[in-house]
Amino acid sequence: MKKRSTLLVLLFSGMICQASFAQTTPAHALKNVTLHSADGSVTQFATIVWRDGVIEAVGNNATIPFDAFVIDGGDSLHVYPGFIDGYATWGSPELPKDLKPLDEPGNPPYDRAGIQPERKPSELLDTDKAFEAGMKAGFTTAALGLKGFMLPGGVEVFYLSPENTRDGLFKETIGLAGSFREAPGGWGNGAYPSTMMGVMAKFRQVMFEATALQEHMNYYRENTEMPAPDRDQVLEAMFPLVNKSAPFYFEVDSKEDIERLFMLQDQFGFNTVIVSGKEAYAKSDELKRRNIPVLASIDFTEMPKWYAKTKKDEDSEKEEDSDEEEKSEKEEVVTDEEQAYRDRQIKAWKDEVTNIKKLIDAGVNVGYSSSGMDLKDLTKKLEILLDEGGLTEKDVVELMTTRTAQIIGVDRSFGNVTKGKNASFTVFDKPMSEKKAKVLQSISNGVIHEF
Amino acid sequence: MKKLSLILLLVVFGFQAYAQEKGSVLIQNATVITVTGDDLENTDVLIRDGIIREIGQNLNALRGVETIDASGKFVLPGIIDAHSHLNGVDINEGRNPVTAEVTMEESVNPNSVGIYRALGGGVTSIHLMHGSANVIGGQGETLKLRYGTNQEQMRFEGAARTIKFALGENPTRVHGQGNGVQPRTRMGVEQVVRNHFDEAIDYKRNREAYLQRKGEYDRRKRGVPPVPVAQNLRYDVLNDIIEGNILVHCHSYRADEILMLMEVFKDYGIKNYTFQHANEAFKVAPELAKNGAGTSVFADWWAYKFEVYYSTAFNASILNANGVTNSINSDSGELIRHLNHEAAKTVRYGMTSENDALRMITINPAKQLGIDDKVGSIEVGKQADLAIWSGHPLSIYSIAEMTFVDGHKYFDRENDADDMRISVNAGTDFDDTSNFEEIISGRSDDACMQDTFTLTEANHQH
Repeated sequence: MKKRSTLLVLLFSGMICQASFAQTTPAHALKNVTLHSADGSVTQFATIVWRDGVIEAVGNNATIPFDAFVIDGGDSLHVYPGFIDGYATWGSPELPKDLKPLDEPGNPPYDRAGIQPERKPSELLDTDKAFEAGMKAGFTTAALGLKGFMLPGGVEVFYLSPENTRDGLFKETIGLAGSFREAPGGWGNGAYPSTMMGVMAKFRQVMFEATALQEHMNYYRENTEMPAPDRDQVLEAMFPLVNKSAPFYFEVDSKEDIERLFMLQDQFGFNTVIVSGKEAYAKSDELKRRNIPVLASIDFTEMPKWYAKTKKDEDSEKEEDSDEEEKSEKEEVVTDEEQAYRDRQIKAWKDEVTNIKKLIDAGVNVGYSSSGMDLKDLTKKLEILLDEGGLTEKDVVELMTTRTAQIIGVDRSFGNVTKGKNASFTVFDKPMSEKKAKVLQSISNGVIHEF
Repeated sequence: MKKLSLILLLVVFGFQAYAQEKGSVLIQNATVITVTGDDLENTDVLIRDGIIREIGQNLNALRGVETIDASGKFVLPGIIDAHSHLNGVDINEGRNPVTAEVTMEESVNPNSVGIYRALGGGVTSIHLMHGSANVIGGQGETLKLRYGTNQEQMRFEGAARTIKFALGENPTRVHGQGNGVQPRTRMGVEQVVRNHFDEAIDYKRNREAYLQRKGEYDRRKRGVPPVPVAQNLRYDVLNDIIEGNILVHCHSYRADEILMLMEVFKDYGIKNYTFQHANEAFKVAPELAKNGAGTSVFADWWAYKFEVYYSTAFNASILNANGVTNSINSDSGELIRHLNHEAAKTVRYGMTSENDALRMITINPAKQLGIDDKVGSIEVGKQADLAIWSGHPLSIYSIAEMTFVDGHKYFDRENDADDMRISVNAGTDFDDTSNFEEIISGRSDDACMQDTFTLTEANHQH
């Protein structure tokens, strides 16, 4: 108890110093911890030294500078590189409600059609309990998008902070977000496009109009004798896609929808990153051929109840082999027809939970994204990924750190706890894959957050 | 738990997804209904690599080619349904009266078990259509029922491009009454067509002029650059219609609106189109024949809305007798399983010949979809899309026993697995699957209007 309060005092004073004397910020050091790396290697009794958000030294022999505020891990704490969410919508303003009927549903304003590529998280993020929840789950960094429809806005990378992530912009617009979601409002108050095919057609039309506007702007720069272009921030936000200079973070799950995304890519030639991609395994060869990375969701369908029960029985059977008679009484009777169905059902479920494993094995570039998953489900889903999804703890850490960092283009700063990287890592009370592992501190861009 | 490991081991099914295959098979001793020629008794049909190679007697199969004894049975070309919404992901992009830019090609669900049921009725191709909410709806997609392949492989290669138009109550109700925009009346429907054609022609002129000036400017970099005219997908498609590159299939019922559209098309030089449903087409059969217009009708389905009361079971026979190319369609996931019965009704009611009745579900719809050079009859050189029937296909007692697409057997009643779904949902338990899709969907609704009555389910936001 006593140690803990000292630690808090130290931290507190450390942060004040950081704020008031930016030029001579003292260092921080975390010593005597077990450090886990993305490649699976483990360093016992490690020390991590950082200053101004940058890691200065790591290892058994790291020298702690004279000015450092030192935290002693006391041998029992486990440090992991901060997890990175490759696409989250934390802090996003909610989707519009109670939309008014439109005069011309066939020709709606951009926002009512779901076309809002000009929006930026750094301008719109709200406070959100998800930021703290994310950090408590080990995340320190996230590429954030906004809730929306076919073109919800830009994707930007942030250092997480429970109170004010919006000011923690690390990298602006790394790409544009997209999906096949139709315009909001349903039949009564909806608008064009209201279908999958409509979204595809409307996307093409937006690309054509952005192409024409860009050309007009270029021509006008060359010769002002022509009529000036009507500037349009929505179409101008599409220029990076038209010019293939920024990737399209496209949220898509079924293999048919992934094929539809391929059709658009074939036509416009943009780079794309698949977000969520629950059936991506079914297109793994083509994804590899096209060099399309997948920021995979682990928001799996709930485990079939009968399967969960079978597993539970199996576990308890291991523990106690007695009560044979009682057991056989309780044995469930399953008809052949139901059994045949169950075989298919469990195959479908296994396909889903082994998606990431299959993609990795096929050589597809895979990272992690929550893409709308409720964080309170994270522990449960991670357990499934480890128990049923064919991944080890090392695979999971790698997935959520270096693999994701590389896909969203921040691997120079994030993904590992090594000298020169950003000081973003998490202190757990035990290895993260163990039951009831808890985050004690989260260091994000060098700032310590206590939980 | 032995049982568990058994479950895990048994995740291999009887049914595996097929790749798009071209098969070889020799069908022997059948009565072959060629449709375009005579019926041939005790005849063999040799199929190699998906193509009908020989029709005759005592044909020899190549080594390794399956031989089927069809003694006492009938071979009919695969049935073609010229009006279907069988496996559309969405049917109606119903928020604008004109949506020529959308296409059912991008709305194909290759996993629908309805495809397999249609195969069980001897159907090998469908015209997957946009719905009838809009005056000018989306483009259609002609599919081969290659069940177990993907959306790309289901496409009927070389089929004509098509588009859905709709007249009368549906577009006026959806847009005029529903959204307060044109068209509110039948007059408005005509005007929407004319206005959009005119706009499309204007656009084309402007776009071409711009492209020409752009070419000159980019080459010489002199003078004033042109103001760009963006490509417009909707107008591009409308121009393709005007130029005859897309066949119009128009949802219609009343004789006056049928005549109206033929006048409009005459003004714009559009030929080779088909009226769908067309319950009052019999009133204007000579005019249809004169304009070379086709019809695709129900055998005896009507009275489901006001404009469909004046109808008759003699419609198909009258059109046929007047020289109109007529097909009989299903517009239904249920009716598609026995289009042979629907064709038989024309024999029963209107004394149409058996051959003409069968034409209405084979070569005639093939003509209307621009695939009659490939399928729709049993002829050497044509694609081997056909079915073996237990008896004459117009008999109420006959059933399709095997159905082939490109010579590959996609349906075999003798070896019909219990569960032919391509995929099951991991989150759906056995007890919840009994109603997973209504087999008998009833005929009370016009399937063209699918998705347009979901007023209570207003939330499409996911």
